[in-house]
Amino acid sequence: MVPRSLGVAALVAFAIGAAPLAAQYADPYAAALARLDANSRFAIELVMDSARTVGLSDTTLRSRVLEGVQKHASASRIVESVRRKFAFLRTARTMLGQVSNEELDAASAVLEAGAKPAQLQSFKTRQKGREALEAFTIWADLITRGVPGEEASSAITKLWQDGADDATFHSLWNNVQADISQGLNPGAALQNRIRETPQRTVTPASKPPEGQEIQSSR
Amino acid sequence: MTDSERHPYVELIAREARRPVQTDPAARARIMTAVRAEALPRSRSSIWERVIAPRSWTLSPMAGSLLAAGLVGIGVLAGALTANRGGRPSVDRATLGAVRPPVSDTIVKFVIVAPNAGKVSLVGDFNDWDETRSPMLRAEKDGLWSVTMPLSAGRHLYAYVVDGAWRTDPSAPVIDDGFGHRNSVKLVAKGSTL
Repeated sequence: MVPRSLGVAALVAFAIGAAPLAAQYADPYAAALARLDANSRFAIELVMDSARTVGLSDTTLRSRVLEGVQKHASASRIVESVRRKFAFLRTARTMLGQVSNEELDAASAVLEAGAKPAQLQSFKTRQKGREALEAFTIWADLITRGVPGEEASSAITKLWQDGADDATFHSLWNNVQADISQGLNPGAALQNRIRETPQRTVTPASKPPEGQEIQSSR
Repeated sequence: MTDSERHPYVELIAREARRPVQTDPAARARIMTAVRAEALPRSRSSIWERVIAPRSWTLSPMAGSLLAAGLVGIGVLAGALTANRGGRPSVDRATLGAVRPPVSDTIVKFVIVAPNAGKVSLVGDFNDWDETRSPMLRAEKDGLWSVTMPLSAGRHLYAYVVDGAWRTDPSAPVIDDGFGHRNSVKLVAKGSTL
């Protein structure tokens, strides 16, 4: 019964072989990597190793890979994008020091949008507990929508130094976005709205809300 | 060749071979008595001998298929366990610290107006940008599509996929995605409701 023995052996081998295959596809990141060519995979893993070596979280970089694959970007574009993101993350940390990974991510998005690294310097010194997550998010958005980088930088930095809270940054963004959507020049919209923004004194960071809450994106 | 064609010497041997053998009528009884007097060989071999003894199995096609399915199932299960417990992502996140805490404490409702759309889904860094994971439901009227998503506090990037086309949320800040398009940004909790 040699053929049957061989058949059973083949089944066992197949099952053993299926284990790593299943492991690969149970992990979306591994599955995404598997869709790239070997050189691209190697290049991306090098970036990941570099990030880990300098103590940066690779979560953002992994998400960038997944996003690129889901958006059907070319392998070379994905590699380039991951490299750029890593470079901006590293620069952001150099400028800001030890801040949360999310703040670092938001700051890197500001750099990616076109801000200069030195423009982050003002955000390094801050009151304990204060985060620039919202400021960076609005800053990156303004540049992305066409506000000149210098104008966006000086406006956000001024607000930050004046102690503006998250609601103030959000209100500014809301108004500028509305003006831009009505056809106003992005730079002019920002200048108009920044003049209306009241100056505030620095207030201690509020305690995060507890329990569940409903937020709407609309 | 017939018997008559053989050599006489061969014929002699053949004739001698054909002659009935005269045996002692009591010989059979003596032999059987001697055999029964011998100790029986051990009916059970050692476990090791039984393990290594060659044997053949027969399997029906149905049994073979079930066995194959079972083995593949074991492989898939082992693979999934490997990915969840020993895979690189888990190790890396445990080592470096995840960006977002694993427990989601805020329910966020995402809404988009797309009256002419046939299919809308939410994608973002919270669902690995997989458009099959968070399909949005259409309201009866107004062309509103919505989905609620448990999110951890912090910053999230997302987009809507409307009939296969990636769209940003008009009510949220945007950033370049690094691939020539834009993503929306959602800041959750910490007093922000962007």
